Amino acid sequence: MVRESAGVPLAVHGRDTVDNDQVHDQESTHPRQKSAIVIALPDSDASSCGSPPTTRIVARSHWGFADLHEIWRYRELLYFLTARDIKIRYKQTILGSAWAIMQPLSAVLVFVIFFGRLGGLADGVDNYTLFVLAGVLPWTFFSNAVIAAGNSLVGNERLVTKTYFPRVFLPMACVGASAFDFLIGLSLLALGFVLAGMMVSSSLLLAPLVLGLLAITAFGVGILFAALIVAQRDFRHVLTFGMQLWMFSTPCIYLSADKIGPTAQAWLPLNPVYGLLLNFRAAIIGGTFDLRALGLSTLSGLAIMLTGFWYFRRVERTLADTI
Amino acid sequence: MAKIELNDVSLTFTLSQERRVTFKEYLIRGLFLPSRNPKVAVHALANINLTANDGDRIGIIGHNGAGKSTMLKLLAGIYPPTSGTKTVEGKICSLFDISLGFEHEANGWDNIMYRAYLQGETPRSLKAKLQDIADFTELGSFLNVPVRYYSSGMLVRLAFSIATAAEPEVLLIDEVLSVGDMAFQNKARQRMKEMMSSARLMVMVSHDLESIRSLCTRAIWLQQGTIMMAGDPDEVVDAYTESVAPKISRHPAGLVTDDPDQAEPVEPAEIVERAA
Repeated sequence: MVRESAGVPLAVHGRDTVDNDQVHDQESTHPRQKSAIVIALPDSDASSCGSPPTTRIVARSHWGFADLHEIWRYRELLYFLTARDIKIRYKQTILGSAWAIMQPLSAVLVFVIFFGRLGGLADGVDNYTLFVLAGVLPWTFFSNAVIAAGNSLVGNERLVTKTYFPRVFLPMACVGASAFDFLIGLSLLALGFVLAGMMVSSSLLLAPLVLGLLAITAFGVGILFAALIVAQRDFRHVLTFGMQLWMFSTPCIYLSADKIGPTAQAWLPLNPVYGLLLNFRAAIIGGTFDLRALGLSTLSGLAIMLTGFWYFRRVERTLADTI
Repeated sequence: MAKIELNDVSLTFTLSQERRVTFKEYLIRGLFLPSRNPKVAVHALANINLTANDGDRIGIIGHNGAGKSTMLKLLAGIYPPTSGTKTVEGKICSLFDISLGFEHEANGWDNIMYRAYLQGETPRSLKAKLQDIADFTELGSFLNVPVRYYSSGMLVRLAFSIATAAEPEVLLIDEVLSVGDMAFQNKARQRMKEMMSSARLMVMVSHDLESIRSLCTRAIWLQQGTIMMAGDPDEVVDAYTESVAPKISRHPAGLVTDDPDQAEPVEPAEIVERAA
């Protein structure tokens, strides 16, 4: 659906427009014609001013792409939904945004103690703590973003059924809010660098690119789950525990590359997070970039996003009554 | 210029007849087996044609379940039409749910902003109105307190002030007027009138037939998702009142009252079975 400010000349939006003749044809021959009264009161000024700009909306196709025009017009709302998510998140907690640090920190502790020490995975890795931290931080971002985005539609049921705005904003805002937490979490990484007496290198410049791709992937998985959960609440549980399984299936978080065999290295990049995390760490603490993994993971991430988008658009049409 | 044009618009909901579709069915359906939980298509609106232009004040009346609110939601864009074309020009403001978009942990000021952005304000347009909205609530320093602590009356004041601060071109209203204490109600009514008169085009749903008569220039009587009658509000309201007046034959359920709301035989929307 499209809403427009008056006076803004509109093009017919890119959806199936119904042929005029066809509509009239239906009207005149329709069996229910009696009940379909055309109300056209003789009206003052408006009706006769040439051909006014019109927006015609018909039932739209499943493959229709995002209405970027509309997203742009509502952009302030996106900003505020994100701000709301950030502000509200820790409102009733004592530690407040310190939770953004506690979460990755405790995960790092578990990995370092149980995997690194007891499991012996730390052998041969210099500064395993920093190594794990550089993997856990982006993973935490990814996982939080996906879980929040996945639950965003059902969590905002009233907004969805009572008002109109581009629905993708809800999952988008969740990704944005998680990104904010991630930025807070980065202070841990800075601290780690200071403690280890390390310097950053110019490869750091690649990190934002990788993070951008990670955010896009998180958005893609998030909208896919958001739509799946609307259709079937069971996916809520699939999501929560699936993210845990996903973490362990992304071994680059806790395992150095030389401990992963060649076959695994060939296939793992199909997991979109794998290649991104691997190269994020390389950008931060140095090491060789695995561009093949980066490329493959990006492609598989984009594939997931397109699937997510397609399914989201499909569910979006009937969202207000199926939610 | 504000304009609404509905061209042969139909809206069909698909519901599961007996229960929610189970997970197993969700996965299997359409792949191997026909579902034993047939889908039901509910024709909430059927072949609606409507043209409205600047200056129109349209009142929609009808029984519960006749499709009145659905029609407003369709106009607002919440439900896309299943078939037909819908054209709405102009900035839309919909008042369906007075406490929409409140965030209970945030204070009054923040909530004014959330709600206003949902209504399509921009930072610039809101800046000019913010103080006005705050003044109208008469909540004073309570605006600095999380909304969680508000009494329901205070919530209504806040909500109403924000909702009516919009300057819509197309105003859609669904039965919202019965708010706050006496003093506020008068003020609210006044404000509502101002808002209605400033909107270029208004569509309202109400069971209050008198306000339809006094506020609207046109009325539409919906029944089972189709337009029974449309035209001059007095005529339509009279016809509607006539139809719901106590006549045993018209009321299978045997309800006999004068109040059109009560007298309702709650006619179910037309249900058509179809294979899932």
